[in-house]
Amino acid sequence: MGVAVKIRGLVKKFGNFAAVNGLNLDIEEGEIFGLLGPNGSGKSTTLLIIATVYKPTEGDVEVHGHSVTKSPDEVRRLVGIAFQEPKALWVDNPYELLVWHAMVVGYSFLDARRAVREIMEELEIWEHRGKLFSELSGGTRKKVEIAKLFLQKPKVAIFDEPTAQLDVTTRHKVWDMIEALKEERRTIIVATNDMAEADRLSDRLGIIYKGNLKALGTPAELKDRIPAGDVMEFSIEGQAGEHLLAALSRALNTERVNLTNGTLKVYVNRAEEKVAVAIETLSKMGVKVRSVSIKEPTLDDVFFYFTGAQLREGR
Amino acid sequence: MRPWVIAVLSYRDLERFWKYKWWLAALVTMNLADLFIFALIFRGIVKRELIPDYFLFLAPGIASIAAFAAAFTIGREVMMELRRGFHHYLLSLPISRLELVFGRIAAGMVRGIIYQTPFLLLLLVLLEPPSPHGLLAMTLATLMIVASMSCLSIAASTLVKSLELQATIRSLLYFLAFFLSNVFYPESVIRERFPEQLYVVIVNNPISLATSIYREVFIPEMVPPTDISANLAKLAIWTLFLFLLGSHLYVRNLER
Repeated sequence: MGVAVKIRGLVKKFGNFAAVNGLNLDIEEGEIFGLLGPNGSGKSTTLLIIATVYKPTEGDVEVHGHSVTKSPDEVRRLVGIAFQEPKALWVDNPYELLVWHAMVVGYSFLDARRAVREIMEELEIWEHRGKLFSELSGGTRKKVEIAKLFLQKPKVAIFDEPTAQLDVTTRHKVWDMIEALKEERRTIIVATNDMAEADRLSDRLGIIYKGNLKALGTPAELKDRIPAGDVMEFSIEGQAGEHLLAALSRALNTERVNLTNGTLKVYVNRAEEKVAVAIETLSKMGVKVRSVSIKEPTLDDVFFYFTGAQLREGR
Repeated sequence: MRPWVIAVLSYRDLERFWKYKWWLAALVTMNLADLFIFALIFRGIVKRELIPDYFLFLAPGIASIAAFAAAFTIGREVMMELRRGFHHYLLSLPISRLELVFGRIAAGMVRGIIYQTPFLLLLLVLLEPPSPHGLLAMTLATLMIVASMSCLSIAASTLVKSLELQATIRSLLYFLAFFLSNVFYPESVIRERFPEQLYVVIVNNPISLATSIYREVFIPEMVPPTDISANLAKLAIWTLFLFLLGSHLYVRNLER
């Protein structure tokens, strides 16, 4: 697998404000890449540059070897984007808009109608096909927007907050559809500020904040980069003194072990690999384990660790 | 450049235009009524030795006004798209910027032709059918006037962000294009009443050129003979100039 999207020294300024400030990033072919960051972090601007909507102030982006500055027409044939804010005018109706989109991306007149009906039925918006866009709910508008990409199936599909405003059932359906698109060997970029979405979809994740990339890796790698980020919790029976805590500390190579009201907490990296050692150590010390649970740090924790800001507020 | 892409782009604009079909019908009716009332009144006022039949004299000019009015609606669409951020969607589509520009201009042209057709049909009914050459000249003039007005409208609309300002610009252009044209008065009067430099500007404005061609085709006996080929050539220059201006401003203002 090669690189689908190569971003080098990307800067985008609006007046004196740098929305993107020296971004470097490679997105691999065939992966789902999550771009995580709060509103105003530069995610959407980056995506709009990849989609050739904005021109970079400095730097360049290559999509499958084609530069957005030198050969934007080639790039546009490879990239499709579902915008954060659904794009339509109030006089449009979803059916006409999607049929037109299908024809622009290469469907014949008849195939466009068939494909649009299929996708609208799948997303359960067929009944809204003849309504004016202004009459649709936020969720339905969002479905119309993402339907465009499922029709287009570009080599690089960009979803900007694809499930914002959608109900829980539809969110899962859309996630399944995005994963199915990946199975068709498409590269997918998902910008989101939703932890569950980033965790569920992303093969790799980039954390973007104030126009800069702060961290890059798989969700598991990023969580593991937080020192002693996992928590093993043991509910125990029997005597547990300082010698037990010291033994656990030695066995698991961590200093962060504490006991409160019969609950033993051990902070380690990669807890799933160390839980057996912990149970064995406790057993040798004559302590009976009633239950054990492992808690991973959330991506919220990851975001906070790398940026010092809370994701929701972006501060 | 892929012609089918331009056709698909125009199809959407046409579909939108068709949504205003009752408004369109009302506009055509109003303009036709204006033509009748205005021309009938002035027929009795204007000196016969100057213009033998003001009604027939004005009709070709009204066809030019019709082209202007309809082609200009594409500018309103373009401006609405800019205001609502819809242009981001257009810019992301797998089409070249040139195809996008051509698609929008073609849409304006189709609008202009649809709107102008009843007026041209009226001329064909009222007057003797033109010769094949005349018909060709009329067709070329129609295509060029709707193209140039469509480009002018797109150029004007991408410069402003408020509907009010767009309406003001439209009115100003309307005033300049028609007051300073030969739609309402014969060239002999224009030459007599305006300074020479302004006369040159007036008779060479695209509305005047199209109107002159229509008059030469439909009512040659009522106007001094003009060189249709020269007028078509001048109109082609205007069309090219306005195309370059409109497409440059459209793409420049769309891309940030």
